[in-house]
Amino acid sequence: MEHYNMNLTLKVWRQKNKNDQGRFETLQAKNISSEMSFLEMFDVVNEELINEGKEPIAFDHDCREGICGMCSMHINGRAHGPWDGTTTCQLHMRAFKDGDTITVEPWRAGAFPVIKDLTVDRSAFDRIIEAGGYISVNTGNAQDANCLPVDKNKADLAFAAAACIGCGACVAACKNSSAMLFVSAKVSQLALLPQGQPEKQSRALNMVAQMDKEGFGSCTNTGACEAECPKEISLTNIARLNREFIGAGFSSEK
Amino acid sequence: MKWSQFFNTSIGKKLLVGATGLFLCSFVIVHLAGNFQLLYNDEGKAFNAYAAFMGHNSLIQFIAWGLKIVILLHAFIALQLTFSNRAARPVKYAVNPGNQTSSWFSRQMAIMGSILLIFIVIHLVNFWGKFHYTEMPTRTYEGSIEPLKDLYALSYETFKNGWLVALYVIGMIGLSFHLIHGFKSACQTFGLNHKKYNGLLSFIGIWLFGIAIPIGFAIIPVVIYFK
Repeated sequence: MEHYNMNLTLKVWRQKNKNDQGRFETLQAKNISSEMSFLEMFDVVNEELINEGKEPIAFDHDCREGICGMCSMHINGRAHGPWDGTTTCQLHMRAFKDGDTITVEPWRAGAFPVIKDLTVDRSAFDRIIEAGGYISVNTGNAQDANCLPVDKNKADLAFAAAACIGCGACVAACKNSSAMLFVSAKVSQLALLPQGQPEKQSRALNMVAQMDKEGFGSCTNTGACEAECPKEISLTNIARLNREFIGAGFSSEK
Repeated sequence: MKWSQFFNTSIGKKLLVGATGLFLCSFVIVHLAGNFQLLYNDEGKAFNAYAAFMGHNSLIQFIAWGLKIVILLHAFIALQLTFSNRAARPVKYAVNPGNQTSSWFSRQMAIMGSILLIFIVIHLVNFWGKFHYTEMPTRTYEGSIEPLKDLYALSYETFKNGWLVALYVIGMIGLSFHLIHGFKSACQTFGLNHKKYNGLLSFIGIWLFGIAIPIGFAIIPVVIYFK
């Protein structure tokens, strides 16, 4: 691929803290290489801001290899930018042309309050996991790995659901700020396996109850979450969550 | 989880919207089949007899009242969800993805549903109200026992008004756009998403409920207007 350098205009959301109203700031990013990742471009911009004695732009990042789910940026109206199945750190600057104007916003959801600039608080997801996204394991010796038969197809589906990195792009992309794709992936990865069966009813009921309590919207099946998910989690997981929830709601004695 | 809690969760409310929506889908099929009798060239004999049957049979009347409750329930819960969904994003995005990540139809459910609700109220005033609560001209047909209320003539008189015909066509565009997403969406809410059936469900949702049925409804006032 041909390498080129570009000059860009950035419109970045700046917000001092949770209580600040926030506003867009226009910045120039000069001499950006097409080989850079989007975050590396931000690093360059921040270095310049620091050299000028200004406050750098706060943004979340950690692994920079597409598996931690931290790099939450809404770029030109798209969660994690224009490429499909990609996190912001894996988005390369070759997705843009010289002279482009790029608007960068934080995830927008009441349940994800902005901490600073592009950084949002996603602890609502942690509380949903705490409500039931686990299996209880008694202490003692580990059992033989082959004593629980698992269907290969279901193991693959569970693995695909477990690819969810909890980045929140589904919430950011959804017009309702619904967390259904996230919750459905976390319910599915366990519901598909024998280890998840003992607690399947309470898991579905408690996780959905917590999801509602956190103030996420409800799903209207638009499919925007699936389109934006960097791990390409399927909408079939939401259907499975619905089945789990209906089954539990109708038959659980609690 | 108690029933009261279950149906107060986001999924529980969606189940109520989906169930009432699918019931209304089944209703439009029956309603359209009945309406086609308006196009018979029998001066309304079949249609008026059908209207008299539908208006007096107690089981049908029970379902008809249930239908009005179902429409109100569907609209009320769906609007409630819409408002809470809007509130879930207090600060909006400056740039939105438009049709890049979701279909236009799927984002217009509340707007199309509201158009439909207004249409239904006007439609009930135009026909149901007049049929049940006003003195209507009657007509006696050869071989029938008693005079029948002439709903057929009322339909022909109503649809001589071009504005009303346009309004009915707009209402049916609303129905079309609502059901193109609505039918399949209700299936997904009930957990019905399966490789073997998705093609069939999309076909029924888009071609039957989204296109064929609304065209069927819309064609009747248009044909009457030009007759």
